[in-house]
Amino acid sequence: MDRAFLDELRQIVGGDGLLEDPLELLTYECDALPHLRESPAAVVLPDSASQIQAIVRLCAREGVPFVPRGHGTGLSGGALPVPGGVVIALSRLNRVLKVDIANQRVTVEPGVTNLEITHQVAPFGYYYAPDPSSQQVCSIGGNVAENSGGAHCLKYGFTVHHVLGVEAVLPDGEIAHIGGSLADTPGPDLLGLLVGSEGTLAIVTNITVRILRRPETVQTLLAAFDTIDAGGAVVSDIIAAGIIPAAVEMMDSLAIRAAEAAVHPNFPDADTILIVELDGPAAEVTSLFDIVVDTCRRHGARTIEVAQTDEQRARIWKGRKAAFAAMGRVSPNYYVQDGVVPRTRLPEVLNRIRNLEQRSGLRIGNVFHAGDGNLHPLICYDERVPGDPEKAVLVAAEILAYCIEAGGSLTGEHGIGADKSSYMPTMFTADDLSVMQRVRAAFDPKGLCNPGKVFPTPRLCGEVPGPHRAHPVETAGLAERW
Amino acid sequence: MVAGQDLKKVPDTPAEMAEMLRRASEQKLSVVLRGAGTKLDWGRSPQRVDATLSTRGLHRLIAHQHGDLTATIEAGVSLRDVNVALSLHKQWLPLDPPFAADATIGGILATNDSGPLRHRYGTPRDLVIGTEVATADGVLAKSGGQVVKNVAGYDLSKLLAGSFGSLAAIVSATFKLSPLPAASRTLVAAARDPDELGTFVRAVMASQLEPIAFEVHVPSFALLLRFASVPAAVDAQARAAEMMLGAAKLVDGDAERALWSEHNERVWMGAGAIVRASWLPANIATAIGELKACAATAGVIEIEMLGRAAVGAGLIRIEGDPKAQARAIEQLRRSASFGNVVLRRGSAELKALVDVWDGHADRQPLFASLKRAFDPQGILSAGRGPL
Repeated sequence: MDRAFLDELRQIVGGDGLLEDPLELLTYECDALPHLRESPAAVVLPDSASQIQAIVRLCAREGVPFVPRGHGTGLSGGALPVPGGVVIALSRLNRVLKVDIANQRVTVEPGVTNLEITHQVAPFGYYYAPDPSSQQVCSIGGNVAENSGGAHCLKYGFTVHHVLGVEAVLPDGEIAHIGGSLADTPGPDLLGLLVGSEGTLAIVTNITVRILRRPETVQTLLAAFDTIDAGGAVVSDIIAAGIIPAAVEMMDSLAIRAAEAAVHPNFPDADTILIVELDGPAAEVTSLFDIVVDTCRRHGARTIEVAQTDEQRARIWKGRKAAFAAMGRVSPNYYVQDGVVPRTRLPEVLNRIRNLEQRSGLRIGNVFHAGDGNLHPLICYDERVPGDPEKAVLVAAEILAYCIEAGGSLTGEHGIGADKSSYMPTMFTADDLSVMQRVRAAFDPKGLCNPGKVFPTPRLCGEVPGPHRAHPVETAGLAERW
Repeated sequence: MVAGQDLKKVPDTPAEMAEMLRRASEQKLSVVLRGAGTKLDWGRSPQRVDATLSTRGLHRLIAHQHGDLTATIEAGVSLRDVNVALSLHKQWLPLDPPFAADATIGGILATNDSGPLRHRYGTPRDLVIGTEVATADGVLAKSGGQVVKNVAGYDLSKLLAGSFGSLAAIVSATFKLSPLPAASRTLVAAARDPDELGTFVRAVMASQLEPIAFEVHVPSFALLLRFASVPAAVDAQARAAEMMLGAAKLVDGDAERALWSEHNERVWMGAGAIVRASWLPANIATAIGELKACAATAGVIEIEMLGRAAVGAGLIRIEGDPKAQARAIEQLRRSASFGNVVLRRGSAELKALVDVWDGHADRQPLFASLKRAFDPQGILSAGRGPL
């Protein structure tokens, strides 16, 4: 990379804000989808919006592509560097700027973790609702980029429903204020467009979110079933009864065994378990929870465990949220996708996945948000077995095809990123994609802001998504997978 | 050929809508999209209009996937017809914007308009999960999908929400639905003055009550809280709210329906200009103080405000001559308490005195390039804005 360009970057961020040593760059080669990796020309660590603005202006002037990066927990390669490009890592923008309890708003910088927002407001009886499984480590800026969900988005919605405004540096280096503390910015909903645009339209430099009052009551149960169909039927009947639970999660036997081995949540040894959580006013939860329990019984639940204490509830959720990380206990490698199917098509698609498991010879663990049909098939393989990694890729592709055939989506919360961009034409027509590209071009005519993500490109068309491998910092024992 | 001659027809299919727009673009004809026409006078005074393109030929409820709590609806269907159909499976699209009896799905989404139910359910942009649009140059394109959870590609539904038909024509949309509540009851209380109103609003916000609507009205200082859930929970919450707010009236059944219908029309029935405005919800007492001061200095006859107490958004009706209205609007825009002040209903005279939209600040360049990308010939919306 051009020396003069690097010098200018150094002038903006200072000597300790620029990384160009190949060893230091290693951490930034990939996010939590480590089979896609690329070495950036440099990584910059700005600590203010004005530094980001200066970096982006410089990149725009020189035609250098740049990739924003939060805490690198993304599962679709959204923060994959571009060869010859700059990674703009937002970890130093980690300040909580304003906590306004009375108005139920918090303003933070993008490098603040998701859970930190809840920590800030928990003493006042509030919380931040979107709860991706990685919430202890993932950044709110990354959540905005990916429109992150989590187990509780069935009732409470996604990041897009909780962000009120952002300050953003646009790809030409101008700053725009989109939304804010006050509702109803006039004009098209740019905020809704920006949230979930996977860092391809702007870099957000501060974010105002709304916080929610803790509900009066929470009730959680864990029910065990002999078949996945029985679990699926319970979910359908709950929804048909007019109940919107705070969360409905399902895990199959492989995922249960993995979670048990990893964090010992004391899950029953069953074909399928269902976690159902209701929250809200006490009288409502009490009345509806009885219906949920009855529904589980009617569909032949072997056991029903109702959490009696917060500790018991926390243990159930620990088992569920650790499921990804836990797969390491039962398989040397795994590959995860997050396709979505209409809730009513779940049993059918899950049975197809089970047939595929038998046909392919690869074990597939299923842990998913059953309430909104968001699958997370964990495809197990051993990279030392010749042909297995490639087979895992084909299996994942086939599962995504099932989702699209059932009228669903390629991704519910992980994003398209670099991982699934080549599949976009299976879900959208060329016209659909060309109209989306108009938005991209309106924001970023030079195509410098996180290029190669979301949309299929000639470079990526021939590629297929790959399986999970350990991140270099994991291999070095420096970090654990969430 | 007379301008707009071949745009007289009401298109019956999305493809026909797209084709008519393509021809309009080709001939650089100015087109205004129209559903039921309930909001046709919103926005700036129109410049030349060559054709009004109706969405009423797109009148199918394409699918109600009740097991999935979703429905796909063409743009020209009225919200009331949608909710009649959805109620067969005890579900609804929980929106209650002004003129809900006539307003169409396309118009409601394009204006992102909402009413008291916004407190619980949000605005159309929060409920839409997919759309199909016809661009001004005649391309039919989908974004989002049929499932409630989906982050594949850009969410163009959001871009259409609040675009007022100035970017593309919505031909259909898919929404997530909610179960119809088993029971409903509304509590009406009144504060003595702005300070007590502020105290009440803060108390309800800080409580664990979960109303589906929470409204304030000024100058009556009335508060409306609607609870909807299983009967036991409605009773328990209504009692708790009554304890908190003191003497109050509880209504349900037909009386409750009449109350809400009257409330939703209240501002619109009065004379004068109507603006939409936002404020920080916990600061409502200060905001009311500024509102009164603004009315006094601007010399208006009457000022009335009604809106979502915990969202901090609503409508302000300003009665008086256009010059006084204009002064009041400018003052609201300069005030510390109010923001996003947009003229909803106003005379041509008033619209000549104040801008309907109040500019777009540092978003203007983005809006301009989006307009060029979607409507390169500038045929849509006849300069009414926002783009």
